[in-house]
Amino acid sequence: MDSFTLRAANAVSGNHFDAAGLEWALGGGSIRFEADAVFSLGGAKAHATLGGEVAAPCTTIYAKAGDELTIEQITSGRFLYVAIRGGIEVPPALGSKSTYLPGRFGGYQGRTLKTGDSLLVGVDSSHLPTDGFHCAAELLPRYEPGIVHITRGTQADLFDESAWRTLTESEYRIAAASDRTGYRLEGPALANPAGTLPSEASCPGSIQIPGDGLPIVLMADAPTVGGYPKIGVVAEADLPIIAQRSPGDSIRFELITIEQSQRALRRRAADLQTISQLALRSSSRAS
Amino acid sequence: MSSSSLRAHPLGDSAVTIAFGSERSAALLARIHATARSLEAARIPYVEDVVPAYLALTVFYDSLHTTYDEIAKTLLDACDRPARGARDTAPPRQHVIPVHYDGMDLDAVAAATGLSVSDVINRHTGRAYTVDLLGFVPGFAYLSELDRSLQLPRRPEPRPRVAAGSVAIAAAQTAVYPLDTPGGWHIIGRTETMLFDPGREPPALLRAGDTVRFERVA
Repeated sequence: MDSFTLRAANAVSGNHFDAAGLEWALGGGSIRFEADAVFSLGGAKAHATLGGEVAAPCTTIYAKAGDELTIEQITSGRFLYVAIRGGIEVPPALGSKSTYLPGRFGGYQGRTLKTGDSLLVGVDSSHLPTDGFHCAAELLPRYEPGIVHITRGTQADLFDESAWRTLTESEYRIAAASDRTGYRLEGPALANPAGTLPSEASCPGSIQIPGDGLPIVLMADAPTVGGYPKIGVVAEADLPIIAQRSPGDSIRFELITIEQSQRALRRRAADLQTISQLALRSSSRAS
Repeated sequence: MSSSSLRAHPLGDSAVTIAFGSERSAALLARIHATARSLEAARIPYVEDVVPAYLALTVFYDSLHTTYDEIAKTLLDACDRPARGARDTAPPRQHVIPVHYDGMDLDAVAAATGLSVSDVINRHTGRAYTVDLLGFVPGFAYLSELDRSLQLPRRPEPRPRVAAGSVAIAAAQTAVYPLDTPGGWHIIGRTETMLFDPGREPPALLRAGDTVRFERVA
């Protein structure tokens, strides 16, 4: 859901950006390391400890065999990411190690993890030293105050001026019925003249307007094709921002051009490269 | 931006939707499928996926290495030129899907259409459908064309969860949900047939161009 943070946590722990990691939603729990490991946390703010000491986010941390990482509670945000050097080892399904929950395949047995599950981590052949790097906050997305930039959607022209004013000038809140397929929003309904349209492709971040006029923002497990009109699309650079909003949190939409949106995405990619380079350099210096 | 009658529009940062027309037809759909195959055969740099639909196709691309303006122009030019080496379609297959007609919306559909439940079922089983395209979730096939008397708009609000195997109708289409997913169509029955199996090759049972009949079972 917040793929920027997963990539950043991977970089901080010394992994390739796309190594498999853990996405941890909302609750507390703990993980025991059965072997020495290097890891990094990112995303939601949480009271996290390793062997009794505070485990800070966006920091390379060394765990000894037997150490337990305990998350007492998530205090803000929605998804905590745990990246372990070597990456999580699971058999790929359809070319990916991700879990596709609606289809119950991929990842770890196609399901969320539960107490007692045991995960394999890939071999760390880098011999890089192991802790202390902390990533600067300026390289991370600004999650507060929940400003989400959008570009015009494929059916933008079907919505009139007053609908656009409503969308970009109102505060919307994430509804309780929100999950990995989409976030329903509570707030002013938009007049939707379109009704049923022939289905066409959509993408994560698409803002669709069903009959009741309340926006639904499609997220990571979203349908790939659908018939509700799309008024706008969340800038990919801002998907992490909306992903980390919990039910009851508010967001505001700001309209930007596709040029601005793609520039912002390139800046995020550049920031990830910077994080990766800094993490590697800090490891080398320490050795 | 447009080229002849085709119009391009961004779909977020990493996709372009190219609109071919405003009225659905079998001919337009065939043209879109042919263009999609042609774009794939052309191996345009940075193109990652091509998704055909009823009035448009959408091309997903690597936007870190190209911009919307550049890729849209390249794609519109390519749509005008049929590529050599586009693969021929595989021969269409005929499928029969057994259905228990006990869906949660069956009575409501009968009421809304003014038909008896028995008539709704007979009109649903009474014809062969063509697979127009795949999308929505893995293995989901949009089937056409539903009997005119059964055509109803989608539900005003999608349900957060429709069970895998649900047989549904909306507008001029019918379909089977392959997985548990949100859904806005009217549920009229269920089947045990697996529309998507990640362990099967290929995982999806249905392909664009195949035909499907539904058969009532107890």
